[in-house]
Amino acid sequence: MPQTPIISCRNLWKLFGANPEAYLTKMPPGHSYEQILADKYIAGVKDVSLDVHKGEILVIMGLSGSGKSTLLRCMTRLHSITGGAILIEGQDITNLEERGLIELRRSKMGMVFQSFGLLPHRTVLQNVAFPLEMRGQSKHDCRARGLEMIKLVGLEGREDYFPRELSGGQQQRVGIARSLAIEPDIWFLDEPFSALDPLIRREMQDEFLRLQAMLHKTIIFVTHDFNEALRLADRIAIMKEGAIEQCDTPDQIVLKPATEYVSKFTEEVEKSRVIHAETLIDPKLKATRNPVAAHATIHAIAQRIVEDDTAAIAVAREGKIIGAMPRQAAFDILMGRGDAQNN
Amino acid sequence: MKSINKLTKILTMAGALAFAPGLAVAEDSSDPIIIPIHNWSSQIVMSNVVGQMYESMGLNVEYVTTDSQAVYESVRLGDVTLELEVWEGAFGASYRAALAKGGMVDAGEHNAITREDWWYPLWTKEACPGLPSWEALNECADLFRTAETGDKGRYLDGPVDWLKHGQERAEALDMNFTVINAGSAAALWAEIGAAEANKRPVVVFNWTPNFAEAVWEGEFVEFPTWEDGCDKDPAKGPNPNALYDCGNPATGYLRKVAHHEMTTKWPSAYCVLSNISFTNPQIAEMAKMVDVDELEPEEAASKWLKGNKGVTQPWIDACTT
Amino acid sequence: MPKITRITRLGRQTQMGLLLLLMGGAITLAQAYLPDFLHRLPSWSDLWAAGLDRFFSWVQNDLGLIYVTRAIAGWLGFLIDAAANILYGKSRWPRIDALPWSAVTALVALMGWYLGGWRLALLGGFSLFWTAMVGQWKWTMETMSVIVVAAPLGFLLGLGLGIASWKWARFEAALRPILAILQTLPFFSYLLPAVIFFKVGPTAASVATIIYAMPPMILMTALGLKQVPQEVVEAGKMSGCTRWQMLVRVYLPSARTELLVGLNQVIMLSLAMVVLTSFIGMPGLGAKLLVMMNSFKLGHSFEIGITIVLLAATLDRLSKAWVVKQPKHFAKGTPWWQRHQAWLICLGVFVFFMLMAQIFPFLNQISRGDSFSVGKELDVLIKAFLGLGFVQVITGSIRWFFNIWVLVPTEQGILYLPTFAVIFIVSGLSWLLGGWRSGVIGFVFFTGVAVLGWWDRAMLTLHATLTATLLAMLLGMPLAIWAARRKRRSEVMILICDIAQTFPSFIYLLPAIMLFGITPITVILAILIFTMVPIVRYTVEGLRGVSPEITEAADMSGATRRQKLWYTQLPLAMPTIAVGLNQALMFAFFMVIIAAFIGTRDLGQEMQRTLAGTHLGKNFTLGFSVVLIALTFDIAINAWAEKRRKILGL
Repeated sequence: MPQTPIISCRNLWKLFGANPEAYLTKMPPGHSYEQILADKYIAGVKDVSLDVHKGEILVIMGLSGSGKSTLLRCMTRLHSITGGAILIEGQDITNLEERGLIELRRSKMGMVFQSFGLLPHRTVLQNVAFPLEMRGQSKHDCRARGLEMIKLVGLEGREDYFPRELSGGQQQRVGIARSLAIEPDIWFLDEPFSALDPLIRREMQDEFLRLQAMLHKTIIFVTHDFNEALRLADRIAIMKEGAIEQCDTPDQIVLKPATEYVSKFTEEVEKSRVIHAETLIDPKLKATRNPVAAHATIHAIAQRIVEDDTAAIAVAREGKIIGAMPRQAAFDILMGRGDAQNN
Repeated sequence: MKSINKLTKILTMAGALAFAPGLAVAEDSSDPIIIPIHNWSSQIVMSNVVGQMYESMGLNVEYVTTDSQAVYESVRLGDVTLELEVWEGAFGASYRAALAKGGMVDAGEHNAITREDWWYPLWTKEACPGLPSWEALNECADLFRTAETGDKGRYLDGPVDWLKHGQERAEALDMNFTVINAGSAAALWAEIGAAEANKRPVVVFNWTPNFAEAVWEGEFVEFPTWEDGCDKDPAKGPNPNALYDCGNPATGYLRKVAHHEMTTKWPSAYCVLSNISFTNPQIAEMAKMVDVDELEPEEAASKWLKGNKGVTQPWIDACTT
Repeated sequence: MPKITRITRLGRQTQMGLLLLLMGGAITLAQAYLPDFLHRLPSWSDLWAAGLDRFFSWVQNDLGLIYVTRAIAGWLGFLIDAAANILYGKSRWPRIDALPWSAVTALVALMGWYLGGWRLALLGGFSLFWTAMVGQWKWTMETMSVIVVAAPLGFLLGLGLGIASWKWARFEAALRPILAILQTLPFFSYLLPAVIFFKVGPTAASVATIIYAMPPMILMTALGLKQVPQEVVEAGKMSGCTRWQMLVRVYLPSARTELLVGLNQVIMLSLAMVVLTSFIGMPGLGAKLLVMMNSFKLGHSFEIGITIVLLAATLDRLSKAWVVKQPKHFAKGTPWWQRHQAWLICLGVFVFFMLMAQIFPFLNQISRGDSFSVGKELDVLIKAFLGLGFVQVITGSIRWFFNIWVLVPTEQGILYLPTFAVIFIVSGLSWLLGGWRSGVIGFVFFTGVAVLGWWDRAMLTLHATLTATLLAMLLGMPLAIWAARRKRRSEVMILICDIAQTFPSFIYLLPAIMLFGITPITVILAILIFTMVPIVRYTVEGLRGVSPEITEAADMSGATRRQKLWYTQLPLAMPTIAVGLNQALMFAFFMVIIAAFIGTRDLGQEMQRTLAGTHLGKNFTLGFSVVLIALTFDIAINAWAEKRRKILGL
């Protein structure tokens, strides 16, 4: 992409231990996670390079202890960084001092937490307006903007409730409203829906997509739920032991898992609901008749795939044909036989 | 002419004021005189009596509760201005120590005698008719035996911080008694109170003037008479090789002390203080009003003052005219 | 692997502990053949005292610390005087003069109602009503005039120090031993310095109160701040808080519960000091109590005791209700007078009683003459009870048995032991309990006691505390186990503990003396009453705290009641009980010194003697002896409880 990435991590390292900086400089390159562990250090983030672009939803996925939250906290500088660099819109924030950091967070960043991180002594409105208050905005502004945000997340009428008077889903709505109050460019969400019941989780995911459709933020979303990642992500970064195993679109990850570790996640996935028609386009094929939409999932066009008898199906974006996909491959995916691509 | 008249008028007025009898008081500082209060009634009422006398002179007075031993350090430092009851026996040591360190002045004695010594309630005499002689007491030692003291009699001395030397006396006079120290005055009363229930003979430390006289009738044990130096010179007293082989002075002093700056800061108040001299019956009366009649100390003080104007007014007048 | 190393280390720990015990035994047996200094070290007590005296006088005069402290005392005095003016009309700024008792009582009752409903309203209202009716209003207000200054200051200072020790690990490391010493330093050691540096009177009393009441506040603050959830902290940071904003807007409000628990502790400890501080100028109830006791008015003393308990209960429950009380929202469009209803009612009632008090004087002040005190009648009752034949027989035989067969022989036993035998035994026991660190500390500290030069008296103090604590365990644990079986019983037991803890210990002393005379058993009993409280409380709480799943598992395994107790409940409750035992020992060390008022021959008696001559140096030599003994136990028991807790995964 031509424009500078919003967030850019370059060979980012985060080690936990007695004296991580000194250790990192004298550590031989290519040390494995276990070797580092043997030296009594834990690699929270291990040599990560990653760009996040404007308006993109990047989901960082991994099991607990994989370093996904650590990576997020490096980007927000809630953790100090052991090695490498982080650039936000081209500005190096690796060693940004406290004052600058506060300024950055007050103007550009919003964050949602797994257990909501609400201040128990403040009402919904006071919680939402908290970042504005910290910026020193007038009481009137705080209130007006706070109410606006509460309305946005659908909590009108509960401005004066205290967090403990709300359900989990409602509390997280407050957390979301708070994180958006300052109109941040970058929105960090750290397992925002993990603490919620499955049904509520689904509802909140829809809410999240609705908001993003309106707001077009640049988003870093951390989750341990692969299905959630598939559902929300533009791109997914799968982490293991501090390092990124694979970073790609959901279609590609499902279609071509880069490592055995990644394929463990993809095995159980109903691929036809993930993979889009455009992903399967094969330049060698040609078809023009009766195209399917590029962003339709294979599952959505199942009937067509089963009933069609040609070898190639045309794919179109906004009415314009952009290529064709092999019907057999689509059929295999539909039938859950997509493993062929692995080998 | 008119103006000169006015001037002379003012001058005469000022002169009249300057030489008015009451005005000597005006020299005294308006800062409050701080009077310490301890935990026995006579001292509290006496302090209130003196406080109200000062107030009648237009001075400010404040009371503060303090420990009766630690108070001498406070007098020295000026945290309290005076102390009205310095008992020779109980506080003599603290008094002398503070006097030596400086900062405290002696304001004379009351016209009262204090006595502190071995004492028994009257029912004890029925069991041991030879009393009050100490030899008779020693012969009755069996009567005062307890489980803990074995074949010796038990004598309950005052708290150690009163420095009563009961132990030394029992040894010096070769008495068949074990000396136990009570921890507080209250402990002494509790012991007498418990003995009263079945009229058990006891011998304990006691003193006069004291509210206990009104509650339990009793007598002091008569020891070899006090000679000066009995506590320093072994030769004094019947046992040539021991100290403390005499009874306590039967006529101990009760004196008043003040912080040294009182003489200059509140000269007339100090003058009154040095005039003040209560007698044994007066002190006992004050204590009784609180202990027996259950008056509040302030009320007791004003009632006592009302009844004894003739006693106190001359002390004040002597300093203000 | 780690399991095996633990077992071998445990083995080594036991070996070392036993070895030390053996050495202690050997020294005892061989003492006839040993040089004198192994039996008793020569006494250097005068040397220490003189050195300390010189040090204190240097600090006081040459360093000029007294000017600083006196300036502080001036400010304190101003605050206390202002409170005194409002509460009981002392003629000082702001010259508003005493609030009528009826208005204050109504206000407290309303506060109770607002915080905790009608029960609290009743408690608060009744407590103050009682106070006024028995004619103790003015005394109570005199006491409160110091408490209302000392408690908030203790709270604020504790808060500040707590924040500092949370923020800087080094500060905490420096503060911890100081707090440990402050908590074990006998009260008699606070007395003289407070008088000298802060001026006898309410100021010195408030300083002593603050120092005594502050430590739990420091600990609770640090604890609360450490417990603020990480995400809340991060949410604060991501909201762009500066450090100050973080502390004031995020950390402190989030730690509200712990801070208020700390405040509750400060209030309770302040009230616990009411009687003792009257030795250095605390006015009011405590001072009156001492007067009453010195003129042998048991009934009146008892009434004062009840007032203090009621006051403590009221303040305790009010502040606890405040801890629990969480803000509630009002429905939209609630008019302002409804939102502030509680305040308005308070104001209204207060003004009403202020006015009524102008018309009806008895609503303003009740003098002692008009009061309903039954002190005299109580006196007669108590004395009659003590005079009953069977009471005398029972107390007589208890006295005889314990004094002659238990206390005197064990006392002589502990004095018979050579100094170094005791040092080895104590160090061996600490080693067994808490590991090598505790063992070494025990050795060093007890050697310290020996070097300070009051060995025999220290042993008597140790004897009294240990005996009393042991008896308290023998009596208290079965009682607590019995109570812990039922929820209702547990609650009643905890309530009794609360009352026993706030009832001024001084009042026990007189009846105890009347029952048992001035003998060792009286001292032991006085300590025992005070010491049983934490043992019972923590045993009940420890047993109740065992998770029901575990007891259910035991039930399903077919355990009998006794098996369940022995094999599941007690082992799991043991770390908690150990904390109670430790607190009991600390209480015992506190009380054994107070017991000097009964009459003892230990460190406390000698400390009492130092008050007469203001011998600061000697006083502190004695005080530190107590500190060293108490800390040895404190460290060993805590180390043990900590280890157990880790092993049990609690």
